[in-house]
Amino acid sequence: MASIRVENIEKTFGKFKALNGVSLEVRDQEFVVLLGPSGCGKTTLLRIIAGLEQAEKGRVWIGDRDVSQLPPRARKIAMVFQNYAVFPHLTVFENIAFGLRMQKAAPEKLKANVERAANLMHIENLLERYPAQLSGGQRQRVAVARALAVEPEVLLMDEPLSNLDALLRLEMRAELKRLLAESRTTTLYVTHDQVEAMSLADRIAVMNTGYVVQYDEPMKVYQEPANTFVGGFIGSPPMNFLKLPVEGRQARIDSLSLDLPMAAPGPEVLLGVRPEDLEAFTVQQPQSFPAEVLVVEPLGPHLLLTLHFGQQHLKATVPPDFAVRAGQTIWLKPQPDRLRWLDPSSGQALEAR
Amino acid sequence: MRSERYIPYVLILPSVLFLLFLFAWPLLEALLLSVRGSGGQWTLENFQRMAADLYFKDAVKYTLLLTVVIVPLQVVMALGMAMLLGGISKGRDLFLYVWTIPLGISDLAAGIVWLAIFTERGYLNSFLQGIGVIQQPQLWLSYETPWMIFLAVVAAEVWRATAIVFVILVAGLQLIPKEYSEAAEVFGARPWQRFWKVTLPLLMPSLQVALILRTILALEVFAVVVALGGRNLPVLAGEAYYWYNAYQNPGVAAAYAVIILGISVVATILYLRLMRSKQEGAA
Ligand SMILES: Nc1ncnc2c1ncn2[C@@H]1O[C@H](COP(=O)(O)OP(=O)(O)O)[C@@H](O)[C@H]1O
Ligand SMILES: [Mg+2]
Repeated sequence: MASIRVENIEKTFGKFKALNGVSLEVRDQEFVVLLGPSGCGKTTLLRIIAGLEQAEKGRVWIGDRDVSQLPPRARKIAMVFQNYAVFPHLTVFENIAFGLRMQKAAPEKLKANVERAANLMHIENLLERYPAQLSGGQRQRVAVARALAVEPEVLLMDEPLSNLDALLRLEMRAELKRLLAESRTTTLYVTHDQVEAMSLADRIAVMNTGYVVQYDEPMKVYQEPANTFVGGFIGSPPMNFLKLPVEGRQARIDSLSLDLPMAAPGPEVLLGVRPEDLEAFTVQQPQSFPAEVLVVEPLGPHLLLTLHFGQQHLKATVPPDFAVRAGQTIWLKPQPDRLRWLDPSSGQALEAR
Repeated sequence: MRSERYIPYVLILPSVLFLLFLFAWPLLEALLLSVRGSGGQWTLENFQRMAADLYFKDAVKYTLLLTVVIVPLQVVMALGMAMLLGGISKGRDLFLYVWTIPLGISDLAAGIVWLAIFTERGYLNSFLQGIGVIQQPQLWLSYETPWMIFLAVVAAEVWRATAIVFVILVAGLQLIPKEYSEAAEVFGARPWQRFWKVTLPLLMPSLQVALILRTILALEVFAVVVALGGRNLPVLAGEAYYWYNAYQNPGVAAAYAVIILGISVVATILYLRLMRSKQEGAA
């Protein structure tokens, strides 16, 4: 087992800067998810850690070894590729055994490890098959089993569930979580799916345009986004951001005054509030503000309301039995301990002082 | 709407007719020709005459020998070139074009190019004389030294027709996603192991195509041999030509053609059998 540490990684493709000085530490046995929109540099970072790509600047440490100059095979890692890269000319058994064969493992150990990995992934009855005879989900499992069989110090996974259909993805996600909790392998897992990230991670590193913009536990990232990008990217629907005028150490929404836990950076401040942290009422309440309902979307477990307040749009999720029509004005009560305050010019969160 | 179902058939019809007319029919004609006597009766006489001929054994021997030497040499060289090309990023296209130039040269022209090198007053003799290795021009391509003609033919054929194998293998390599090789690398394979355990097996379909194509063409080798050695290095296709032209005996010529066809079919079946990939269907 080992930790991963990357320091100040910079990578340029032609004139395009894919990574702008990324630093990240994954602790021993930790499960970290790299989350970000497509094209933000997640795969590039993973490939640099694996040694498949060379960074212009920065270092990569695995455990206490500086592996920056080592070829992939000397880094003691295993990787699950986005398209599986399960060898089509080898049986499932030989695919899983590939890494062990390369290490010239003893036959007993090889057999034992392959069977253990296959059992973990529930593919023990497929060992004699060729990949062409497997479904996408089964190939996926082979790719994970191949990685687990070598008992790597570090496991890298690049969107391993992205090619699966929704139901299978849900199932595999839970299985992966159980599995990696059991095997306690240090894991760095790439995805652009925020639900996947929330569900799996010990910590999430949110990436955007070649930067790590926030690195924290899932609930922290969800409730206390470092900036408007994180708040908007994580959560479905995303966090609401309302630009509000400031009076002393208070921000005003209509007649409602909210205490600011810090000095405002200017005459206005940005309030970040999650749709589920707005309690809705059909009649006026203390500590609430009015908003007009534009759209009502029944989503089953709740109703999703699109509203506007002045010129600003916002969303709220309310219980399914909440009686409301489009055009109606309702009253929203923000949950006071769930508010996030941000600088409207930079979009960065303001810290309480 | 119904008439649309016939469109595909209408569209392939010209090519089917073309193939029937120019391949199937002559093939049948040749087969019939080889098993009929001058009076039109069924007979094995043509094959008997062919087998009894002075040149027959040598023609079989040299044709097979040329194939066995040339084809593996070409495949190994083309494979090496294709792998090298994969490692180049800058100037890749330049190498690709230069290496495929021989594709544009006809086999007779290739034979003549190499004749210009090996002939008595050719480039090889001038060069060797120039650096003082020999005093007199040597006669390289004489009937007394058939092995020398053999080597010249091998050189000309390798120079001329390696490019087609190369092109097939380059195309095949490009079809293999680089993730396979990367996965092998991550799981500990060294460059040679990646080549043997991953690239080569995945390249099997292309190798098979290249081998079948080159073997069939090597069994038909003719113009290069005629240019370099005349009949001093007898080959099957050459014998068919001599029997047809010089001896005015289409029956025996057809028998030779049938022999070439037979060997080609056997070789193709062997390749298909021995190189059958175990994976079922595409990955
Ligand atoms: N080999 C490459 N050549 C040129 N540009 C590349 C290459 N690999 C990645 N990029 C670019 O770098 C950026 C980051 O890519 P990537 O790391 O694959 O993003 P992600 O995995 O987050 O979707 C993208 O804009 C992509 O176009
Ligand atoms: Mg990616």
